[in-house]
Amino acid sequence: MSDTDALIAQLAERLEPVRRLRKPWLRAALWSAFATALIALLVALRGFRADIGECMRDPAFLVPLAGAWLTGATAALAAFEVSLPDRSRLWLLLPLPAVALWVVGFAAGCLADWIAIPEGAPVAEESVRCLTTILLATAGLLVVLVPMLRKVRTLRPAATAWIGILAVAGFADTAHLLIHPVEASLLVLVINLVPAAAIVLLGGLAGRRMMAA
Amino acid sequence: MALSQAGDAKAYRLLLGGVTPYLRALAHRFGLVGSDIEDAVQDALLTLHSIRHTYDPSRPFAPWLVAVARHRMLDYRRRRVRQFGRETELTDFHETFAAPEANPPERAGEGAKLHAAIAELPAGQRQAVELLRLQEMSLKEASAKSGQSETALKVAMHRAVKRLRILLGEE
Repeated sequence: MSDTDALIAQLAERLEPVRRLRKPWLRAALWSAFATALIALLVALRGFRADIGECMRDPAFLVPLAGAWLTGATAALAAFEVSLPDRSRLWLLLPLPAVALWVVGFAAGCLADWIAIPEGAPVAEESVRCLTTILLATAGLLVVLVPMLRKVRTLRPAATAWIGILAVAGFADTAHLLIHPVEASLLVLVINLVPAAAIVLLGGLAGRRMMAA
Repeated sequence: MALSQAGDAKAYRLLLGGVTPYLRALAHRFGLVGSDIEDAVQDALLTLHSIRHTYDPSRPFAPWLVAVARHRMLDYRRRRVRQFGRETELTDFHETFAAPEANPPERAGEGAKLHAAIAELPAGQRQAVELLRLQEMSLKEASAKSGQSETALKVAMHRAVKRLRILLGEE
């Protein structure tokens, strides 16, 4: 009996039934529902931004808001799909249109705020509150998403980590846009993507271990 | 595979046995040779085992298997290339000592001289040299083979070395 035959016999001998993963779209939908509920909870705790009524009629607000939420949902679906070995890497492109909506929206917002905020305006306190909202949302979303993705034991840990982080950033910014008037969408991306880049790029060490088989 | 996910060991064994020739062919196609083929196949089988929960029975099995196997083979090849980059195979040359004086070129007839000197030794000493040095036996093995005690062998060996030095003109 060759080593390989012996290995097959050993694997068959200690075979245990496994629970199949749910469909990727279902897991993505569940996580997106959780993310939306978390956003609602944060809004309930902190309240809508003061100018929400006005914002809801303003396309310059609605476009990045929809873009951020859609980025979260599509990136989540892409993460669950691409984490499986037999799915195409093209799934990684799925969030691109939503990201475009989001980024174009907040880029315009940044410019408008840069012009609008008068010198010496009391934005520091609001910025701290804004940062804590973003961090709370990010932490809450990660706590649920990471174990869900880890369960897959993916063969593509880096791609899965990147796209998963994009999903977290999208939903975290949705919460931020609804709660805070301070323009910080870029900050949300930086908060999420810089650690992700550090994790994934640092030899793929933690990122790979966190997600890998 | 669906049966294997439910814990059917017989079906699983059949499946793994059935996919192994394909995995070997794939490893070959990836440029692996010799024992690397079996190592890569085993690597792929272990991965398949550890992520068997990711297979969806409503989808065809072959693309899933190919994706897992290709991923593992690529990984294995990458690892080997990296390893080879840092490794140099040992040759006889590497097994000699670095200091040049430790590696004098063998002088012609030196071996023959040594063998002739050994042949001149008394029987007990000759036997000790043959068993302990030429056949590289341990004291215990040599003692069992020759019927001499370990102490007697040690003494015989010591005397043989002394005598060989004299015979070879080193003292």
